[in-house]
Amino acid sequence: MIKNMSLPPPSAGRELANPPSDGISNLRFSNTSDHLLVSSWDKRVRLYDVSTNSLKGEFLHGGAVLDCCFHDDSSGFSVGSDNKVRRIVFNVGKEDVLGMHEKPVRCVEYSYAAGQVITGSWDKTVKCWDPRGASGPERTQVGTYLQPERVYSLSLVGNRLVVATAGRHVNIYDLRNMSQPEQRRESSLKYQTRCVRSYPNGTGYALSSVEGRVAMEFFDLSEAAQAKNYGTFATGGCDGFVNIWDGNNKKRLYQYSKYPSSIAALSFSRDGQLLAVASSYTFEEGEKSHEPEAIFVRNVNEIEVKPKPKAYPNPAA
Amino acid sequence: MGKKKKRATEKVWCYYCDREFEDEKILVQHQKAKHFKCHACHKKLSTASGMVIHVLQVHKENVTKVPNAKDGRDSTDIEIYGMQGIPPHLLAAHYGEEEEESLAKIAKVEIPSVPIGAAVPRPYGMVYQPQQVPGAVRPMYYPGASIRPPGPAWPMPPPPQQWYPHNPAVSVHPPAHLGYHPQQLFPVHGMGMTVPTSSNVANGVTPSSSPAMPVSQPLFPVVNSITPSQASVNAYPPNNSFPVGGTNPHSYASGPDTSGPSIGPPPVIANKAPTSQPNEVYLVWDDEAMSMEERRMFLPKYKVHDETSQMNSINEAIDRRISESRLAGRMAF
Repeated sequence: MIKNMSLPPPSAGRELANPPSDGISNLRFSNTSDHLLVSSWDKRVRLYDVSTNSLKGEFLHGGAVLDCCFHDDSSGFSVGSDNKVRRIVFNVGKEDVLGMHEKPVRCVEYSYAAGQVITGSWDKTVKCWDPRGASGPERTQVGTYLQPERVYSLSLVGNRLVVATAGRHVNIYDLRNMSQPEQRRESSLKYQTRCVRSYPNGTGYALSSVEGRVAMEFFDLSEAAQAKNYGTFATGGCDGFVNIWDGNNKKRLYQYSKYPSSIAALSFSRDGQLLAVASSYTFEEGEKSHEPEAIFVRNVNEIEVKPKPKAYPNPAA
Repeated sequence: MGKKKKRATEKVWCYYCDREFEDEKILVQHQKAKHFKCHACHKKLSTASGMVIHVLQVHKENVTKVPNAKDGRDSTDIEIYGMQGIPPHLLAAHYGEEEEESLAKIAKVEIPSVPIGAAVPRPYGMVYQPQQVPGAVRPMYYPGASIRPPGPAWPMPPPPQQWYPHNPAVSVHPPAHLGYHPQQLFPVHGMGMTVPTSSNVANGVTPSSSPAMPVSQPLFPVVNSITPSQASVNAYPPNNSFPVGGTNPHSYASGPDTSGPSIGPPPVIANKAPTSQPNEVYLVWDDEAMSMEERRMFLPKYKVHDETSQMNSINEAIDRRISESRLAGRMAF
C-alpha cells in the first residue's frame, strides 16, 4: 500500500491555486476583505482572493521576498533580500521603492496608529517610513533605530512596537517616542528567537523559539496577573502541525492534521473564521528535496479555539 | 553473493558512554551535547579534540578527559564522530555479544547445505580457520557472510587477531586515516564535503596529507560560490568547529556578511546562556549564530545582483551633491 504523503486529508482546508514556486516567507489576510498577500523566496509577492481561489496580482522583485503586509485593500508593502522597501499597488500592478536598508530586510509592518511603515533588517536597524512622502528615500525615511542585533521579527499593537533580534534581545518601543526603547528585554526562552506577535488586546506579546516553545509576556507586569485574554493562539512548526493553544491554562486545545511540509506561516482572517496555512519547507535541515509549496485555507470552528471551561476535580471516589 | 550480516537491532551507539540511539543523527547530537560541549561556555563543538582546543584557546584550560565518558573511553586523542572512528575490536565486542547466540543456532541449521571444504571463495587471501563448534564442522562459514572483504571492521567471533591485520583501512593509524576520509567522518546530505581540520591538529599529527580545507579561514563567509555549510566559517578564534553538513548547519560563524569579524556567536547575555539541562534537548535547528533564513540566503540561487543597488546609492549620492550645491548657490547672496 502506497501512502501518498503529498495529499493532506480533506480537513486541511482548501488548497489555493497557483502557489509560489519556492519557499513561502509569510502570508497575511487583509483587515478588510478575504484577500491574502503572500511573499516568497521565488522573488514574488502574490495577492489571492480566497473566496474565489484566484490570483489577483503578482509582483516580481530583485531578490527573495521575506515579508509583506497590507496597507489597505488597494496597496501593501513588501521587503526582501534586495534590501529594498517597496509599496505595491494591486489594481494597477505598480510598485515604487520607499527606501533601502544595508542588508536584507526581514520584516515589515504598517502602523495605522502612526501612519508609517516599519521595517526590520539584518543590518541591525529598524526604520520608519512615511508612505505619503514623495518618492525618494530622503523624504520617506522618518527614522532609523539601531538594534543590538539583526532583526528577526516585529510586531505592532496600538502604539507599541516589539522588536525581536538575534541574540535573544527584545526591544519594546512606544511609536510616539522612538528616541529610545520603552523597555529593553531579553527573551525568557533559552534558544534562538523565531517569532514575536503582540496580543490583539495590547497587553503583551508571545515569543517563540527554535526549541518549539512559546513564552507569553506582558508589557506591564502589574497587569499581567489580571490580564483577561481570550488567550488562545495558533502555532505552526517544522513538524508540519498546527496547534491551537490556550495560553491562560497552558494547554493545547486542538491540533490540525499534519500538513505536507513545515508550517512557514499562519494568518487568521479579520473575523477569525479562516486560517491560512503556508505548508512550505523552511530549510531547517539545509538544502534537500521537499514537498512543493502549498497554501491551505481552512475554516476555524469556535470549538477549536475557545478555551475549555475549567474542570473542577471530582470528589474522591 | 554473501549475505550481509544484519546486526541484531541495527542500533548505533556512543563510543564514550555506550548509550544506544535510533539513528546516527541523534547520536551525533547526543555527542555534541554531552561529550563535545565546553564546560565553561556551553558551546557545542563538533569533535572532542575540537572542544579541547576551544577550551584551551578561549578559556586557557587544559582538558584531559572527555566529559561524561566511561573509564577507558575518555581519551581526547581518539577521533570519534557518530559511529566513525570506533576501533574495530570495540565494534566487534559491542555487536559480538549479540551474535554469539545466533552463531550456535545458525550453525546447526545451515551446515548440511554447505559442502565441506569447498568453494567458499576467498578472493582476498584471508585465511579462515574452521571454527570447532561442538557437534559440527563449519568450513569457512560464518553466520551472515561467506565473503569477508577487507574494509570496515566486521564483527567476528574469536580469535580476532586472525583478521585484524587484514583490515589496514581502519584504525591501525587512526589520525592519518581518519583525517583523510572526509566523506566517512561527516555524513553530508549531498552537499560539498568539509573536512574536520580539528582532527589533524588535535592529534598532533602534522597534516602531511592536508585536508581540503585549510585551517585558517577567511574572516568573512564566502557567499558566492559555495554552499552554506562551507560558507559560514569562523576563523576567529580558530575553534576548529567547522560546519559539518546540510543536516545540521551548526557553524559558529559570526553571522552572515552583516557585521565585521566579531568574536564568536552574536552577543548573548552571559548570565542567561543555556545551562546544561537534565534532559537533552534535540533541536531541529541548532545553529545559534544564524536563523534559517540567513542560512538559506547563502545558496547561490538567492544571490542578488548588487550592481543595481550600488548604482542607485551612487546616483543618490551624486543627486544629493548636486542639490546641495544648488542650494548653496541660491543661498549665497
